Amino acid sequence: MARTRSKPKASTAKEPTPEPPQSTAKPLPPSTNNPPKVFVLPNNTSPESRIVTLDNPANGAPSRYYFCPSKGFFEFTRIAAPKKDCKSWLITPDRASKDISQDGRANGESAAQEADTAEGLGGGYLTNKADMFLATPIDLLFLILPALAPKAAAKQGDKQYFLSLEDHLDALASLSRQWKVLFSQYPSLKDKVERRMAAVCDTVTAGDETMYRVSSEKLTRVLTRKAERMCAQGLPPSMEERFIKTALEVPIMNVLRSDTFTAAPTPADTPAITDTQTTTTSTLTRTESEISTTTTVASQTTAATSFTSTTDDAAPHSALSTPPEIPHLLRLRTSLTYLTTSYLPPTLRTPITSAPDPDFTPLDTHLAALAKLRAEALALRSISDNISRKRGHDEDEGAAMEREEKKRRKEEEEKKKKSESRAVKQLKKVDTSGMRKLSSFFVKKPVAK
Amino acid sequence: MLEARLSQANLFKKVVDAIKDLVQDCNFDCNDSGINLQAMDNSHVALVSMSLKTDAFTSFRCDRNIALGINLGSLTKVLRAAGNDDVLSLKAEDAPDVVNIVFESSSQDRISEYDIKLMDIDQEHLGIPETDYAAQVTMPAAEFQRICRDLSALSESVAIEVSKDGVKFTCTGDIGSGSVQLRSNTNVENPKESIEIEMTEPVALTFSLKYLVNFCKASGLSDKVKLKLSAEVPLLVEYPLSEGTNSFLQFYLAPKIGDEE
Repeated sequence: MARTRSKPKASTAKEPTPEPPQSTAKPLPPSTNNPPKVFVLPNNTSPESRIVTLDNPANGAPSRYYFCPSKGFFEFTRIAAPKKDCKSWLITPDRASKDISQDGRANGESAAQEADTAEGLGGGYLTNKADMFLATPIDLLFLILPALAPKAAAKQGDKQYFLSLEDHLDALASLSRQWKVLFSQYPSLKDKVERRMAAVCDTVTAGDETMYRVSSEKLTRVLTRKAERMCAQGLPPSMEERFIKTALEVPIMNVLRSDTFTAAPTPADTPAITDTQTTTTSTLTRTESEISTTTTVASQTTAATSFTSTTDDAAPHSALSTPPEIPHLLRLRTSLTYLTTSYLPPTLRTPITSAPDPDFTPLDTHLAALAKLRAEALALRSISDNISRKRGHDEDEGAAMEREEKKRRKEEEEKKKKSESRAVKQLKKVDTSGMRKLSSFFVKKPVAK
Repeated sequence: MLEARLSQANLFKKVVDAIKDLVQDCNFDCNDSGINLQAMDNSHVALVSMSLKTDAFTSFRCDRNIALGINLGSLTKVLRAAGNDDVLSLKAEDAPDVVNIVFESSSQDRISEYDIKLMDIDQEHLGIPETDYAAQVTMPAAEFQRICRDLSALSESVAIEVSKDGVKFTCTGDIGSGSVQLRSNTNVENPKESIEIEMTEPVALTFSLKYLVNFCKASGLSDKVKLKLSAEVPLLVEYPLSEGTNSFLQFYLAPKIGDEE
């Protein structure tokens, strides 16, 4: 994917992107209440590309997507500095283009205007939020899934009807008006939808019409393939650290039993998978892993919480060594959970997660064994009075700090209590029932300063 | 900039001693009229209000209003280092971190100097209206202290009744009951012993003795104490400070209403 340094100059977006105010330096222009945003958009998209609002497949909330008739859909990921870091963007006019315009044709008002705006940083704009929106490709499949599996049908649990392509498209259009517009403007989109639909649907031919019904087996297969691609190149480090490494850590028993697993896993099993996946997918894989990193950074809470729940039960580790296939299985499951939680409507999640296809039983047994071991280790630890081990190591720093703070406060209070004189303590014991507070007799005065 | 000089450290010492058991941290509000303090106890049923006017000081300068948030425990520790007859100076910058306290002993040519770190104290100030009290009793501070101490041995609370016969302090406790009645009298030989009662109508109110005993710690500050009462408003116990100035130390205490449970 190409990186451009542009704000969405060319985009016909309705995304609010007013040009920076064209003032020269001296009087500070008032801040726009609709400040420019920084986007990283794909290269070479057709000029008809636009930003559309479609329902987010996972939670149904309207979200913005970048749509290019030839390249398909892109989702936006917001990358933001942590709140405490005060960062901002300085957006200045492109110097290169300025030079060209001045050298090339020095005549006409365009040049004059250019020079005016571009003088120094005067033409620039300072946004107060250092957010960046990154457009990354998203499989069209995810966007149409909510329409393929309406909630009602999934609730009943029994078979849905086969429906024609048109019916499905109607369902889609009824979800969001913008779909209708897109379909009428770009008929080629229909073909794309059909192709992606075919990948996850059972089909029946009635007359010359093909009817579709979403098949959870097929969907599982597609997702598993995606998940495999995702972990083929290794998960992003933050996910690897959080969901794989910590989950597979063997607890250290009293007798040192070093964590054996670190040496074995990754390089051994990944090549095998990459082989089956072949080269065509490699680019996709990369972007997907990018997506996942960025979302973690942007702290997409839904994804994060759902992960913890899965990994909590996945947390434990068996006694000695980790069998070589385990890390891969765990990675696969993590990827799969990630995909389902961030891109699938809730109704479809259960059938996918409970699908028998990628066999996670070895992983489950391994994790169960690990859990047991961990519990034992914890029990042992709590018996021994080893202070340094008093806390479970999975507690994060936040909790530790909170505890520290609490302790400090308590100590302070205690100290205060101790320093109280006897008379003060006695006054505290006085029965003040029937005595109204003085503030009910006297009016509060505003603090005079 | 604050610079205040008291000829007798003793006065300040006693003031702080008298209120340190009622409030622990409080703001000394300094302005060009003097040093004022208002604070409530932890339960907010009692209030102490102190005012040291400029003429109570041998010299006083305060350019800007300054609030000195001081822990009275710390202040007591420092004041303990002062001799009773030392000259005490308080100094502080306009936006102070510390208050500087100097004790000068004239007889011994000894100067000791202390800095106390200040605190930020959020305090609500209550506006206390001028009240015409229904009854006002002026009596020797020691007498009031003795009554409170004696009765507190019997009970938690005392009823104070002012009538044309005089003022009567009554209490009832587990072991029995007791009362002290004082009549208005004028002692010509020793005016300090006089008891004056001014009354527009009879008043009877009940108060917590523990609090009154606490107020009595100010007895050393003055020969006289004034009790001012009106129905259903807080009792005012006032000790005038350094005769001839308008400085005072006042305590307010909420009456007990309908506590016969």
